[in-house]
Amino acid sequence: MPISSNYFLKRAILALAVVVGVAIVSYVILMVTPGDPAAKWAGNPRGPGASKAIETARQELGLDQPIYVQALNFVIKVLSGNIGISIAYKIPVSRVIYTGFMSTLELLIVTYAFSAPLGVFLGLYASLRRGSFIDSFVMSLGALLASTPTFWLATMILTLLLQVGFVPYGRVSPGLLIETGFKPITGFILLDSLLQRNLVVFADALIRLIPAALAVSVYPIGALARLVRILVAEALLEDYVKAAVAWGIKRSTIIKTFVLRSITPSIVQVAGLSFAYSLVDAMVVEAVFGREGLGSILLDSLYKSDFRVAIGLIAYLSVFYIVVNTLVDLLQAHIDPRVKL
Amino acid sequence: MRRLTVVILAVLAVIVVTAAYFALKPPAPTKLRVIVYAYSDTITGIDPSLEDDTGLIILGLVYETLTYYDHSTGSIKPRLAVNWTVSEDGTEWIFHLRKGVLFHDGTPFNATAVKLSIERARDAYRETGRGLGYIWDAVEEIEILDEYTVKLKLSHPQRLDFLAAATYSAYIFSPSVMAKSGATNYLDKRLEEWFNSGNAVGTGPYKLVYYDPMREIRLEKFDKWWGWEYVNNPEAPDVVIIRIVLDPATQYSGLLSGEIDIACCVPRVNVPELAKKGFRVEEVQTYRNFVMFFNTKRYPTNVREFRLAIAHAINLTAVIKNVLLGYGRQASGVIPFGFPGHIEGLIYEFNLTIAKNYLEKSGVTKPVKIEVLYQKDYEETVQFALLLKTVLEHELGIAVELNPQGWEMLRDIARGIWESPETTPHIIIADWWPTILSPYDYLYTMFHSESKEWNFAGYENAEFNKLIEEAWALEGVDYEKAMEMYAQAQRIIYEEAVAVGLWDDVRPYVYSSKLLIPKEAFSPYYMYVIRFELVKVRE
Repeated sequence: MPISSNYFLKRAILALAVVVGVAIVSYVILMVTPGDPAAKWAGNPRGPGASKAIETARQELGLDQPIYVQALNFVIKVLSGNIGISIAYKIPVSRVIYTGFMSTLELLIVTYAFSAPLGVFLGLYASLRRGSFIDSFVMSLGALLASTPTFWLATMILTLLLQVGFVPYGRVSPGLLIETGFKPITGFILLDSLLQRNLVVFADALIRLIPAALAVSVYPIGALARLVRILVAEALLEDYVKAAVAWGIKRSTIIKTFVLRSITPSIVQVAGLSFAYSLVDAMVVEAVFGREGLGSILLDSLYKSDFRVAIGLIAYLSVFYIVVNTLVDLLQAHIDPRVKL
Repeated sequence: MRRLTVVILAVLAVIVVTAAYFALKPPAPTKLRVIVYAYSDTITGIDPSLEDDTGLIILGLVYETLTYYDHSTGSIKPRLAVNWTVSEDGTEWIFHLRKGVLFHDGTPFNATAVKLSIERARDAYRETGRGLGYIWDAVEEIEILDEYTVKLKLSHPQRLDFLAAATYSAYIFSPSVMAKSGATNYLDKRLEEWFNSGNAVGTGPYKLVYYDPMREIRLEKFDKWWGWEYVNNPEAPDVVIIRIVLDPATQYSGLLSGEIDIACCVPRVNVPELAKKGFRVEEVQTYRNFVMFFNTKRYPTNVREFRLAIAHAINLTAVIKNVLLGYGRQASGVIPFGFPGHIEGLIYEFNLTIAKNYLEKSGVTKPVKIEVLYQKDYEETVQFALLLKTVLEHELGIAVELNPQGWEMLRDIARGIWESPETTPHIIIADWWPTILSPYDYLYTMFHSESKEWNFAGYENAEFNKLIEEAWALEGVDYEKAMEMYAQAQRIIYEEAVAVGLWDDVRPYVYSSKLLIPKEAFSPYYMYVIRFELVKVRE
């Protein structure tokens, strides 16, 4: 895997530039919009000392300084990885974000664990039956799935489930956690429950996760199915595939060795970008199903003037996107020797 | 080489997962009395000296105060203090403390804890204005007479027995928190951070074991609580989970699915249906009230007769019946029914003829348009605002522009009345619940001209200010006289129509039939706090 020594340096500089840029722009935007973080930090004080409390809070938050100084100080905090205490909840920002992030990531991982193979399979299946009804059906279905509004779909799924008496609300039943003595380890409930051989919690968490995962999965299934259909169709017209056919090599071997191998880097790239994109879908779906996650945290922080959490989250999400992209690049370089980083 | 690396990594991963799998024993199911209580807001903090908002729901269970307000009799009862005496001039209070009480970490409750807790709340307030420590502002000195007796010397007379039962800043914590948090003094930020990270050392019937202010709080029964022998309730819950469920409709579906045992805030429209399905309902008349403030600094609501015209045009009986579905009580003035200082006779009669007469007298010429700011998160304020718009436009010819906002935004816009009254809405609808058992809480906060953060009317009246200041000072000496002065102050607000008390909240708590909850477990004062030590869980 040829990776130049400058690659990681370039990525690090890019990440730094993105985080700084995102933090500054977000800070300035949040500070000029209505809302007073100082009042929230002071705890919505009342009584004769209320005004004094807000002034003290303003100083503690550094909001009495010029905005460029505030923004600079905040960027330094973001880069140091310690943004401080959440204004709305009075606990470390990292703790606020961590729980939500693990929940969202769990949802995304489960979603992609079935949606990516399913999308690839559908695309491959359709491309091997080009011109047939199946082909048209899969292509149309792919377009429909990729363009279905996730929020609407999630609401429909939830409504349907409620009609049949199933309430998939939240991540897991809080009562079950207590009764079974569940202890969080990694923040992924599915993994933690398996590690503790707690199948009751595992089943409960999984059954609540599936409807949300279904809603998030439509985009990757649709997008990958259409992409694979097109890539395979193109690959089948390549000279080396024709030559392989002429040599009488088995069809399954041609598909596996020549076609799939040649299109895998493109699939990885699109799946990686789609994974990062699905983060937004996951945030919306979580809100519908009442699951904890980054979506509810971001909305809540904006609503409660908690600029520390809001900007911290946006900055860390930028890093997440860069990390995903970097991993995709590395994977591509690993799979395809022609790719040089 | 590459394959070898992959194989080695895979083997390592399998070893780690297998080791963890066998290292952790499978859970042994335990039969505990676990109940889930759905609450409708996130928690803003749990520092017992500084928290002044939604943290009450936890503080009220984990900590205890020296005295307790019994709303059924309107009297102050002993809690951590067993009895108390006061000097004739009302400036020296001696509290005799309960013996044999333990904090959750096993440290003993004593006079040192009382001194530390009160001084921290008071001094944090004096230094920064934060918290509700102003309730202790008159305390000049706290003298420990012996391990179970404290003397509080005041700068001026106060009803300290009432103040010691406050909903905020009156909780007693263990002095051991200093060492646990690494704080060098009680105002050290490390102590505040330690509390707010999910730590608590109180004496209450439940101890805090898990704290996630955005999602869930877990409390465990404290077996060594001094009060178990008095409540005699072996069926009390072993674990209480306070689940943050913001959406009322989700609380409703959570009850139906069995995920939630008690819901504070299901949609009112669903309450009768839930009752029919076997859920129990407790309607609690609370001290939370809704008030409609007029912007007294902006035309035309700066004209008294115009305000009176609007006040007489509102049919609150119909609002309570149709909008609140009966879960409300028409307010008489701005101090809720049952609260000390509440007086009757401060209701504006619904009469459109009177309203039209006042409108004519006001001299306000048409066309006229006003803006109404209200909280969009409450179904009742949303529907009330729509009704108000209809009535004012159709009956009085006053055009109304509605401005629905979330609470934080509403507050920011409303407090702008002091700097830019001309751009602040003409009418602001907000709710309030008290900290201390005094009309001063409502009257100072909402109408004193120095209360720039909460006086949404922009009201300035030196006579009113003087009245409530004097009444506050008089409470410790001549309580009856002080109450008379508060009544006089309320009449000023009523006659000048600075604000209209709309309704006092009646909260329907809905809970599973497996629970037996006595009436006294709910309190109008300690909002949303349920005394779980009195709750019986029947499986």
